Amino acid sequence: MVVDDHPMWRDGVARDLTAAGYDVVATTGEGQQAVRIAGAARPDVVVLDLQLPDVSGVEVITGLLGALPDVRVLMLSASGEQQSVLDAVKAGASGYLLKSAGQAEFLDAVGRTAAGDTVFTPGLAGLVLGEYRRLAVEPAGGDEDAAPKLTERETEVLRLVAKGLSYRQIAERLVLSHRTVQNHVQNTLGKLQLHNRVELTRYAIEKGLD
Amino acid sequence: MAESLWRAIAVYRIAALIYVAILVIRNVGDYAHPALAWPVLALTAGWTAITTYAYAEPARRRPPLLAADLLITMAVMASSAFIVGAHALKNGSPTLAVAWHVAPVIAWAVAGGRRGGITAALAMGITDLVTRNHYDQAAYTGTVLMLLAALAVGYLVGVAEQAQQRLERAIQLEAATRERERLARDIHDSVLQVLALVKRRGSGLDGEAGELARLAGEQEAALRTLMTGRSAEPVDDAETDLMTLLDPYASESVSVAAPAAAVRLPATTAREIAAAVAAALDNVNRHCAPGTKVWVLVEDEPAAVTISVRDDGCGIAPDRLAEAETQGRLGVAQSIRGRIADLNGTVRITSTPGDGTEVEMSVPR
Repeated sequence: MVVDDHPMWRDGVARDLTAAGYDVVATTGEGQQAVRIAGAARPDVVVLDLQLPDVSGVEVITGLLGALPDVRVLMLSASGEQQSVLDAVKAGASGYLLKSAGQAEFLDAVGRTAAGDTVFTPGLAGLVLGEYRRLAVEPAGGDEDAAPKLTERETEVLRLVAKGLSYRQIAERLVLSHRTVQNHVQNTLGKLQLHNRVELTRYAIEKGLD
Repeated sequence: MAESLWRAIAVYRIAALIYVAILVIRNVGDYAHPALAWPVLALTAGWTAITTYAYAEPARRRPPLLAADLLITMAVMASSAFIVGAHALKNGSPTLAVAWHVAPVIAWAVAGGRRGGITAALAMGITDLVTRNHYDQAAYTGTVLMLLAALAVGYLVGVAEQAQQRLERAIQLEAATRERERLARDIHDSVLQVLALVKRRGSGLDGEAGELARLAGEQEAALRTLMTGRSAEPVDDAETDLMTLLDPYASESVSVAAPAAAVRLPATTAREIAAAVAAALDNVNRHCAPGTKVWVLVEDEPAAVTISVRDDGCGIAPDRLAEAETQGRLGVAQSIRGRIADLNGTVRITSTPGDGTEVEMSVPR
């Protein structure tokens, strides 16, 4: 499923995906509509433009995951606005790519997203690293144990991703298997998303919204 | 703020007029020349009406009106010496302008700030004392109170004016920011998408089409950097966000990774780091093949800020780096090590021929 408000982009991406052998089950230019039709279209992967005219990326991702808990969301964005990318990842997106990425890179990312891998750009790795450090310095809710922490290995892997090394290069450098590197990256994101859900729940309870 | 003060003066003047009228009616029997008290009271009422009307319009609140206000009030007060008479004044009868005479003083304070207020208060106070010709504590107290009131109002008006100016500046700034965001949205929705699309569709093609796609890609990256550039001065003068200096280096071949929040550093430290990063990037440009990719990573830790610049270029043989340094050549040696050492930081350069170079700079906070 392709969600992008720019018709040229939407059609181009859909065409590329079809040509590469993917089955494009739906395309739309609106976030709310995307959430509505996702349940019926049942896509495995949603390629989502982060900046949609009607609702924020976070809302679309939350909505999509609510309708289809197993759906994987690959975000695309033309501008790489830092905070919104970070928020979207915390909301549950499993990958992120700049629109300037080449066609081969894009198809590779879709393939990896479909296979359950996380797709990180170096920029996103830097954001995630920064977010863990921020949470460590100012623990939310005053509870220090609540802040998610990275293991030394995970930090190391994330730093190498941010420095532009491919998973293969990281595996070579740290003498790990490709799969292990992949798992480490996935864990960094998983912990952040879990923490985000815990925080939201805590917030809801505090405000009496449960 | 000033508007409501002017309205308050008008209200005060009317209330004071009623007070004066009541006192005249009660005390007129004791006056030396009671018949003249009525025309003066009429003048007081008339002037109250005129000023209420005249001060309502900002364009009319000018020196001629203010001077006339002060002089007429002083004249009304001075006439008390003759009409009320020295005897009655001495026995405690108030002047014909009691309380009412503070109105022009406050008007001067609102129009002319502290200085205007003090001038008017002194002129009015002296008139009051001379008219009464009777110097006891109460007489001085009235004048001192008037002086203090003028001072306070004048000060208040100054503060209000500053606040007003600040508010206007903030509104202007906000409008500018909004306009920038609107522009960014528009560019994002149109130009950026098309450029990215051109780059994408043409990237596999040979010859001129491929070249066009590459150019579109370069412009796309430049425009994206320009648009998402963090606002220039989110922190105060002494500190800067390091990223406002580093983000502009991002391009088609340079990736800049950093935390989402501002990386606050003293302005000079940030400038030196940015210069060191520029030197490292320049080094890549000079020594590596065109199109070499570079990744800049900024890590903001409580104890230190670490910046690494890694490229996937040709790499430097370890002895060549040392050689350049001993030969006293500039570049990596001086620009990077020197600048970072000045900040009490450390530089680690790791490089393998054929596998790129990484410069890691760590500067303590």
